[in-house]
Amino acid sequence: MIIKVCVGSSCHLKGSYDVVESLKGLLKKYEVEDAIELQACFCVGNCAKGVSVLAEEFGDKHPQETPAATPIEDGLLLHQVTAENAEAIFVEHVLPLLK
Amino acid sequence: MELCLETGYTSLNHVGEELCGDHVESCVDGDYTTLVLADGLGSGVKASILSTLTSKILCTMVSNDIDIVECVSTIIETLPVCKVRGVAYSTFSVVHVNRQGEGYLFEFDNPEAIYYHHGEAMDFDREAIEVCGRTVFKSKLNLEEGDIVLVMSDGTVHAGIGMILNFGWPREKIKEYLNNHLTADHSARAAACVLASACNEIYEGMPSDDTTVAAVRIRRRLDVNVMVGPPVNKEQDEAHVARYLEGPGKKVVCGGTSSQILARHMGERLKTSLEFPDREIPPIGYIKGIDLVTEGVITLRRLLELSRKYISISDLTPKTYTQRDGASLLADILFEQSTHVHFFVGQSVNEAHQGLDIDITMKLKLVESIAANLRIMGKEVTLLYV
Repeated sequence: MIIKVCVGSSCHLKGSYDVVESLKGLLKKYEVEDAIELQACFCVGNCAKGVSVLAEEFGDKHPQETPAATPIEDGLLLHQVTAENAEAIFVEHVLPLLK
Repeated sequence: MELCLETGYTSLNHVGEELCGDHVESCVDGDYTTLVLADGLGSGVKASILSTLTSKILCTMVSNDIDIVECVSTIIETLPVCKVRGVAYSTFSVVHVNRQGEGYLFEFDNPEAIYYHHGEAMDFDREAIEVCGRTVFKSKLNLEEGDIVLVMSDGTVHAGIGMILNFGWPREKIKEYLNNHLTADHSARAAACVLASACNEIYEGMPSDDTTVAAVRIRRRLDVNVMVGPPVNKEQDEAHVARYLEGPGKKVVCGGTSSQILARHMGERLKTSLEFPDREIPPIGYIKGIDLVTEGVITLRRLLELSRKYISISDLTPKTYTQRDGASLLADILFEQSTHVHFFVGQSVNEAHQGLDIDITMKLKLVESIAANLRIMGKEVTLLYV
């Protein structure tokens, strides 16, 4: 799976750097560094709900729409991720996609 | 191959003085660039007035091709005589050269100019001429690509007197220092700053004399095309990108959406780096065939700050950039490498940015201010709005 953190202007101001750092830590903590590749991307058109994080390439799973996550054509878009809620979102929305 | 001339200088003020007694004046007239560095006697107001008058008069006269004998006699007859010293002029160095590298250098009582040629600091072949009972030295210039002419006030060779160097900083040592610290990539501005900063260190930050270094460098023309922001009308994307891509030189794109449009039209992938060399500046991206891909407004805001430091004549931070964040990489390409900059500015509004301090007005204002500072650096700048 690939996780992309938006580093566009708006998300950057909302704390992309801290989200990237948190996710790096989480990949280690949950021992999924081999299964998930962390990347950055420019604006994903979701500025109002930044920091946006995009999960891609997780096989034939079909995640549900929730307030924190929207399934899109080639992945799952996670909204309003911060350094503080990163772990909760990661556990609830990202880890299940690996199983 | 088209060559261009660039000029730049750095001045240190005598400790405690608000005014610098040295003055640099330069002008470009057609193919010719004229630069005058004058050092008024003493320091403070009197010195500043003497050197300003001297450099302005000389620069105007020389750039209008008036014979040097006439220029110097005008100076001597015009300037007020100093009551204390009984003399009436400041020392000066004049460089008058065209874009083919041909021209001349005149020196009167300033330290001998240094000729940086093929990576080595050398002397000019000087010929003494008598003007109104004073000796002026004339050197013929035949500059080649990459050559730099460094002129300076005596604050350089006097650096450290009575402090850490008993007899100042001898010219031979200065040349040695330049051989070790200048490279073919230093712009005129950066080269002048290298030498002036070294003087400041020898003075331990408290210059006991006004110290100025000015440089004239001849170099190859380099166009840089900068795409900032998507066009207002989506249907113009294609034409906008095509126009941006067709010009010669380096290509830079600033802004996430602009990068995506560009990559799509080029049929290339846009990759984004996860590295934050500076945590305040968003990471850069990569598109095959594009020299630099950066985020937009935040990077441009830092670029404007960097440009202010770059054009400040008393700022001593190195004018070469070693940091790898988007703004520093952009500064290196625009300030140090380019001679001509073409902005392709799209004015499309990103609704999500409105109300934040990264909105479209901010972006347009930044581009304008950066363009103005690039012009102060001597770059030729064009702006195209869509």
